[in-house]
Amino acid sequence: MDTIVSDQEVAVKASKEMPAAWEGMSYHELNAMLNLYNSKGEIQFDADKAAARQYFLQHVNNNTVFFHDLEEKLEYLVKNEYYERETLDQYSMNFIRGLFQQAYKKKFRFETFLGAFKFYTSYTLKTFDGNRFLERYEDRVCMVALHLARGNEELALKIVDEIIDGRFQPATPTFLNAGKAQRGELVSCFLLRIEDNMESIGRSINSALQLSKRGGGVAFALTNIREVGAPIKQIENQSSGVIPVMKLLEDSFSYANQLGARQGAGAVYLHAHHPDINRFLDTKRENADEKVRIKTLSLGVVIPDITFELAKRDEDMYLFSPYDVEKVYGVPFSDISVTEKYYEMVDDSRIKKTKIKAREFFQTLAEIQFESGYPYIMFEDTVNRENPIEGKIIMSNLCSEILQVSAPTTYNDDLSYNEVGKDISCNLGSLNIAKAMDSPNLGNTIETAIRALSAVSDMSNITSVPSIAKGNDESHAIGLGQMNLHGYLARERVHYGSEEGLDFTNIYFYTVVYHAIRASNLLAIETASTFAGFENSTYASGAFFDKYTDGEWVPQTAKVVELFDGVHIPTQEDWRALKASVMEHGIYNQNLQAVPPTGSISYINNSTSSIHPIASMIEIRKEGKLGRVYYPAPYLSNDNLEYYKDAYEIGFEKVIDTYAAATQHVDQGLSLTLFFKDTATTRDINKAQIYAWRKGIKTIYYIRLRQLALEGTEVENCVSCQL
Amino acid sequence: MTPDKLKLAGHVKAINWNRIEDEKDVEVWNRLCNNFWLPEKVPLSNDVQSWATLTPDEQLLTMRVFTGLTLLDTLQGTVGAVSLIPDAITQHEEAVYTNIAFMESVHAKSYSSIFSTLASTKEIDEAFRWSVENVNLQKKAQIIESYYHGDDPLKRKIASTLLESFLFYSGFYLPMYWSSRAKLTNTADLIRLIIRDEAVHGYYIGYKYQKGLEKVSEERREELKAWTFELMFELYENEVQYTHDLYDSVGLAEDVKKFLHYNANKALMNLGYEAMFPAAVTDVSPAILSALSPNSDENHDFFSGSGSSYVIGKAVNTEDDDWDF
Repeated sequence: MDTIVSDQEVAVKASKEMPAAWEGMSYHELNAMLNLYNSKGEIQFDADKAAARQYFLQHVNNNTVFFHDLEEKLEYLVKNEYYERETLDQYSMNFIRGLFQQAYKKKFRFETFLGAFKFYTSYTLKTFDGNRFLERYEDRVCMVALHLARGNEELALKIVDEIIDGRFQPATPTFLNAGKAQRGELVSCFLLRIEDNMESIGRSINSALQLSKRGGGVAFALTNIREVGAPIKQIENQSSGVIPVMKLLEDSFSYANQLGARQGAGAVYLHAHHPDINRFLDTKRENADEKVRIKTLSLGVVIPDITFELAKRDEDMYLFSPYDVEKVYGVPFSDISVTEKYYEMVDDSRIKKTKIKAREFFQTLAEIQFESGYPYIMFEDTVNRENPIEGKIIMSNLCSEILQVSAPTTYNDDLSYNEVGKDISCNLGSLNIAKAMDSPNLGNTIETAIRALSAVSDMSNITSVPSIAKGNDESHAIGLGQMNLHGYLARERVHYGSEEGLDFTNIYFYTVVYHAIRASNLLAIETASTFAGFENSTYASGAFFDKYTDGEWVPQTAKVVELFDGVHIPTQEDWRALKASVMEHGIYNQNLQAVPPTGSISYINNSTSSIHPIASMIEIRKEGKLGRVYYPAPYLSNDNLEYYKDAYEIGFEKVIDTYAAATQHVDQGLSLTLFFKDTATTRDINKAQIYAWRKGIKTIYYIRLRQLALEGTEVENCVSCQL
Repeated sequence: MTPDKLKLAGHVKAINWNRIEDEKDVEVWNRLCNNFWLPEKVPLSNDVQSWATLTPDEQLLTMRVFTGLTLLDTLQGTVGAVSLIPDAITQHEEAVYTNIAFMESVHAKSYSSIFSTLASTKEIDEAFRWSVENVNLQKKAQIIESYYHGDDPLKRKIASTLLESFLFYSGFYLPMYWSSRAKLTNTADLIRLIIRDEAVHGYYIGYKYQKGLEKVSEERREELKAWTFELMFELYENEVQYTHDLYDSVGLAEDVKKFLHYNANKALMNLGYEAMFPAAVTDVSPAILSALSPNSDENHDFFSGSGSSYVIGKAVNTEDDDWDF
């Protein structure tokens, strides 16, 4: 048993030998050496390994609470209200002991300093005073598995295997919270509508507080709120528009955070044809007045196809008063298709409208993105065309990968609910593509991931926001994500965005969607239930499967055939069988996939973020809780640097092509960041947006810019400064 | 009004940015404009919790370091950059100095934003009182100011470069140090924006100094070089005192001194001279050195700060070809 409690082990792969010059250096200094070349012009990977080792020796081991055996430890943690007794009570002690042994036998080691540092700073269980560690990595993994498996021993064992081998990584809220007694929710994301009345706005502030308290990012759709100067009770020039609502939300998010573990974070989405659109964007201007400046709230804009058509013809775009639109059509502004009704609304004298130049709108968008990285973009018509579920998608979330339908809530005068609508929550987890491809059975890996994610949905019941609880109950929506695409491709000596790179992305995601639906179908059979509204989806009609049963999806390049050697690629026959089973039994989850940006968890899991290219071979990571730290790209060595071109060098076309190859197999969205050098202009950003829209991309996340030091002012020998 | 001034008014020449004598003027002007920022963009209040985790000694040190920096930025903004204008070789150089002067005032004001976010009025007032009473701080300001008011234009540039590229850094050390330890990271974002500016200022003024040297005799060049090293040494001695005075309480003085050596060398390089300190005494902590890079390449987490990498972009209209779909 002492493997479990030994607190003197160093959980990193590092040699005990260290160059004399590094003696006495702190782990932060050693980690920073990564960013400085040695005298031979090589990257000092060993310094990072030494940093990780020193981190254990200087900090972790001294500060870990020691227990004699597992029983003593679990007993102590339950008694002192660190662990949930209910989680452990579902299993026998014998089983639990075996599970921990299995986990410890894997000899898990952190690959980088940042991986270890991030885990111990942000995830592991600490004493209530925050000073001492109560868990090692293996303990956290076991508690997550025990919690999610809900007494199912076989599933618990599988989850431990998938996580500790690095194939599946639950998102932060799940990995951080599962099994702890003092914790937030396991769910990552919430999306809520705001309707055009004070009851709805007031409830939204309340929801922002409640959901931030429990963790996860919260997004609101502001599209339905009447614009500045719109009438209230028929009296003209009364409304203050969307900006004051944004201010209220921003302050609410700053106030509430998840036990200090995560800062409350929020996003707001507005339709491009809302009259306040320019005011909305100007809140992120460098010289915005303090009264309107938005610092920490994230912005997103919903853009329909018609806006592109108008810009193509260099015409004006009309902005429509949501107040009038709702009066005329009897439904909220967000729920009508602006592309479809555009000319009808232009000709309707009952709808008040203003106009701006469509191209100027796109240019303004790009200017603000230059200055602040915001707004995100959701391509409204693309998203809704590709949606297999009945209803309309009006917004996305804080990371722009959740795309689900919603329905409005109505209130009584006393603020009670008249009709509870449907709002959105989503819990996420990602596969490490490199490890998943190494899996003894990729299909089983995906099935276990889907089961783990569905468990989170089943266990969630957020009563403080009834529309969220209802949405979750009815939809069992989950988001299986992916990360480490660039790391995998580089390991296999394939260039990101090359023909082979795109071929791999296509076939990989093609394989994933098959197994994801297969697993959800199994869940439907086991529980004899489907998500609400399954019968009106294209899964039920079978139309969803046409492209897979009618067309043949096979690798186009020899390299990808080789990469899939030993991994079964679903055939048309497989799809026909799956289609028949789904049409008969349904699927359990309304939504299955969403590819998040994977910040923190990809450091712990030694992955590159999401399916992006790397930001830099040695990434400089800056976070409130970490400070400034350095992270080497996975599998990078001084011998394979050529496969690690960074996102700024690779350019937007290859990134968008890669995302397009994946998007066609993903029912929700994929967080797509675009990277530009500071020599880019607003026109370059606009070109990228047009290209993305044409390629069928659903959403764009941040725009990131890199400015290099003026020649003559740079720091010598700095890895991240060189190209 | 004196006849002299009337005469001057009669000869004001409109600045023509389409006739450029020195490309460097345009390059630096563009860079400075792209880098324009105001302290309001940085969510400093996110650092309030972190501030509370510093010990009273560390808080006092931080307050004092920032008041010291405020003093230098005030000097550079209201006297330094402005004093360089009459000696400018080109009109565009004048324009660049006015830009520098303005940004220095923005920097000076930024520190006040930090103070008002983190500290009470009483603490702020005490820190400012300290800055008036601290002998070493006052001495370095007085040395530099005396040359700003002197009548030698090249010496003014030397003094100004040493201020921009050397004297600031004993203060910059601290926020970089905190940020590498996950303290005050938003404050560090703001300081990195300042470093980004100062790196360009020091480089540019040094460059203009070297341009000025081209027009003087060999003898005069020798004299100026000797004078530079003399001044550097005088400032260095004082800076070492200042460093001990500030940093001894937290045990960082030795490392800060290495940082001083490193930046003294950089300042001399900006003026076109060889390094004064050997590599053995400039081995700054890698955590600080890596953080110093004025590149804007931090992959920051948007949810905990605004980062220091965004710039004001160049707006270019899209053409019909771009919309060809």
